[in-house]
Amino acid sequence: MSGPYRGLLVERDGPVGWLIFDRPEVGNAMDAAMLADLPRAWADLDADPDVRVIVNTGNGPAFQTGLDVRQLAGDRDALREQSRRTKRADLRISAWHNHVGKPVIAAVNGVCAGGGLHFVADADIAIAAERAAFLDPHVSLGQASAFELIGLARRGAVEPVMRIGLTGRHERLSAARAYELGLVSAVVPDARAAARELAEKIARNPPETVRLVKQQLWRALELGLTAARREAAVIAARSPLAAPAPASQQELLGEPPCR
Amino acid sequence: MPDRAAMPDRTAMPDRTTMPDRTTMPYTEFQTLKLHRRGPVGWLLFNRPDSLNAMNAGMRAELADAWLELDRDPDVRVIVHTGEGRAFQTGVDVAELATDGLGMERYRADLEAYDLHFTAWQQQVSKPVIAAVNGICAGGGFHWVSDADVVIAATTAEFTEPHVSVGQVVAMESIGLLRKMPFEAVMRMALVGRHERMSAQRAYELGMVSQLVPPDQLRDAAQELAEKIARNSPAAMAATKRALWGALETGLTEACRQGAREVVSVWGHPDQDEGPRAFAEKREPRWAEPERAEPEASPR
Repeated sequence: MSGPYRGLLVERDGPVGWLIFDRPEVGNAMDAAMLADLPRAWADLDADPDVRVIVNTGNGPAFQTGLDVRQLAGDRDALREQSRRTKRADLRISAWHNHVGKPVIAAVNGVCAGGGLHFVADADIAIAAERAAFLDPHVSLGQASAFELIGLARRGAVEPVMRIGLTGRHERLSAARAYELGLVSAVVPDARAAARELAEKIARNPPETVRLVKQQLWRALELGLTAARREAAVIAARSPLAAPAPASQQELLGEPPCR
Repeated sequence: MPDRAAMPDRTAMPDRTTMPDRTTMPYTEFQTLKLHRRGPVGWLLFNRPDSLNAMNAGMRAELADAWLELDRDPDVRVIVHTGEGRAFQTGVDVAELATDGLGMERYRADLEAYDLHFTAWQQQVSKPVIAAVNGICAGGGFHWVSDADVVIAATTAEFTEPHVSVGQVVAMESIGLLRKMPFEAVMRMALVGRHERMSAQRAYELGMVSQLVPPDQLRDAAQELAEKIARNSPAAMAATKRALWGALETGLTEACRQGAREVVSVWGHPDQDEGPRAFAEKREPRWAEPERAEPEASPR
């Protein structure tokens, strides 16, 4: 790893790479330094051959609360850079923006607000701590919100996404409701422990296959049903088996062989 | 075609939904599937219970014919499919892959050409299709969940996507599911592979299935649901199906534009007079005989 990273902790633990927001005193908000180092943190974890799965979480009570507007207001160069990237829809914040090929689990440990929603909208899998909550205060500050909400709206029901977009800072979506809606697949007391356990399961699967599956499912969000399936069929046809073929349906399912 | 009368006697206490009442032409006798009709409902059963209803090359070929046979039968208004035994469907038959000397090579050309014919969607079935998930649904089994119009399940059903755990990239089923339910759950199953299973309850919560039923009542529940659907105009339902599946192909505005064509396509159809008349006369409508529009030339 080519650390240190400003505002971030990047660690490896077995097959799991951790990208941890580390500005707990400001709700892990992204200042100019963190914004500058996020692409390198994602790239380093993606390139590390020992890392199979990346878990993204935050230190302290918050997960991620978006841009640190106070810091950026005093850093004209950084603000200009961010504005330029926004205009071009060329952000470098999330794993998806940075073309990460490995599976990414968002372990939402606490409040996730505004620009913090990028990291949920763009994760492959998301789980939440019981105290986690989701909101998008952009409109309460006179800012339009687009990328994060568009991403979230592709992941499930649209109405709840529109609602958090329009209620701004005056309402929060609870972890329990996020689970009901399928925005997260688990609500747990300890998001890190649950994420590690989940990551280790994924790490048992062959990494090249995992990469291709992830790529195809994201690609499918860009295409119509038939076009997406046609592309996936060709990929499947050209992918040789990377693991020994199971001998029976029971073995395929990881069940003990019958009889 | 075999004579119905020559078929073996049924057991003394048959499941009522498996009792065929088809009196016209018998269906084809398949090796890996069972077809029968009860009232307006055509049943398609996966029938390889010893292999957890895995799809071997034979079933793959038979499915192509079975869907069309039911879709073309004028007495069938709704199709239900389910599995015999403890599994619903567990995808491609891995034992056959391991032993037939061909493996996945058998399917390579069809995949490259995207020339597939084993689901109702692939066969462009015009009638409503209900999947009744009676037990485990794994891997390729999701083809029939993603490609059905309506899905119900036994409370004991389970869902798992083991492809990635055996080094296979098969995303077509997951891509279908992505269009119909929350992304995260589909991605999680696809990446975790056989190391996790989703419960029927969670599948219900996420909207992958719309009804859970105790396992011994699943076929009755599917028959009952199918009979409700069968009370609606076949022509209107076929157009509705085309509009809704078509909407998965494109953006909102274009989907509405194409949907408008489907709405207009049934204007002037006799069912549009019959529906209100039957309602006013407090009787069941007598719908016009449905006509199957033959599939477009382009394969799915």
